[in-house]
Amino acid sequence: MKVVKAPEIIQAVEQSLWELNVFGSRGLREKMFWAWQEEEGKSGREMLSQILENYAVAEEKKVPLCQDTGMVMAEIIMGEEVRIEGGSIREVLDEGIRRAYERGYFRKSIISDPFFGKNTQDNTPGIYFFDVVKGDRLQIELLVKGGGCDNITTLTVLEPGSSVEEVERVVLQTLDEKAARACPPLVVGVGIGGSALYALFLAHRALSRPLGSIHPDPRYRALEEKWLQDLNKLGIGPQGVGGKVTCLEVRIETHPCHIASFPVGIACSCHVFRKKTLWW
Amino acid sequence: MSALEEREFVLKTPLSVEEVMMLRVGDVVSLSGELYVARDATHRRMLEIWERGEEIPAQLAGSVLYYAGPTPTPPHEVIGSIGPTTSSRMDRYLEAFLARGVRATIGKGPRSEMARKLCEKFKAVYFVACGGAGAYLASFVIQKEVCAYEDLGAQALLRIVVRDFPLLVAYDVHGGDIFEEGKLSFRKR
Repeated sequence: MKVVKAPEIIQAVEQSLWELNVFGSRGLREKMFWAWQEEEGKSGREMLSQILENYAVAEEKKVPLCQDTGMVMAEIIMGEEVRIEGGSIREVLDEGIRRAYERGYFRKSIISDPFFGKNTQDNTPGIYFFDVVKGDRLQIELLVKGGGCDNITTLTVLEPGSSVEEVERVVLQTLDEKAARACPPLVVGVGIGGSALYALFLAHRALSRPLGSIHPDPRYRALEEKWLQDLNKLGIGPQGVGGKVTCLEVRIETHPCHIASFPVGIACSCHVFRKKTLWW
Repeated sequence: MSALEEREFVLKTPLSVEEVMMLRVGDVVSLSGELYVARDATHRRMLEIWERGEEIPAQLAGSVLYYAGPTPTPPHEVIGSIGPTTSSRMDRYLEAFLARGVRATIGKGPRSEMARKLCEKFKAVYFVACGGAGAYLASFVIQKEVCAYEDLGAQALLRIVVRDFPLLVAYDVHGGDIFEEGKLSFRKR
């Protein structure tokens, strides 16, 4: 049995959330510099150069990159032989959020109920998904998304036996209609299969892959590359003002599905891509 | 193709009809002066007040309305991060504000056809600021005060003073739309 102490997790979550909101990861900065070099649109380039400036100002002043410091999501993959000492995993994660958002002067954007709620004042609760696996590893996939990009999350249920081209059409049409509102350039997650519920989960899990990672299956790797190129031909551009770079990456996650259905979930992260893996 | 031309303007608030008439989609504007900052709950509050026949404590004639909700102000800073929020959520309130003299709005992303037509009708311009560049944009804010509705927290009505705040014209008063024009110029399929 591995014992992980609650304060260790709290501290790691606090520090990670603080860093994610204040610093763009090195991978993200490199990707954005690439986008700036690639972009031909005058307005789009102006937006990208402000995004690059933003990293420097946020780092220097230790203030968040974006005023929407988001809602915290996490997938927790917990080995059967792990025990957390000093609190339940939900309490511990919420405490990490509470401390990070207080310490960083981040915006608290969560209300306790959609109709009748008040601001919870500490950005909790986070949204958690759990998986129990064999072994003694505890893994936490943190993902922070602002409201703007979360609002374009889309589920489409196709006919069973749909072709790659039909799914591609759904991805392109959805992003053509909605990408400009979600602060592009975007990271795009596409969840295919499972159930309607699970397809949206898969789309978010796809966002948890690190930047620059490649799909292990060469067939999906090729699709990810093709869809990225196609999306970047839409012309939407950085912040939707026109240009070549609408998306930074496309990731696909798939799952076995029912013979009668073919769900496709699409979830995006804005250009302030905030994702980190913690493990014990 | 106006979205590809290089035109820059230096403007000060309040804005006149003549000033916004000059602007075209894709123009870069460096704006100084006072802005009102409001987002969803602030708009709902102000509308309720007007519906009761009362007035709000803001001078809207020629004013510029910035759709944003900043992070809390850290010690030794003027303001926290303050990038734009999604403007389309404010479309349903737009007419009430333009009818009271708001000359420009600032936000991010495309708006409804109705909002674009309202900009034409009331001779008001819609600017975009760079979404997600909240730390950078905060560095152009030189003063901040809560104007009203402090109980709304991050959604209180603020009055801020900016110097050389960087903007792009997204909808001009002649019916131009940067999102449509930009997309058409770069579309390859």
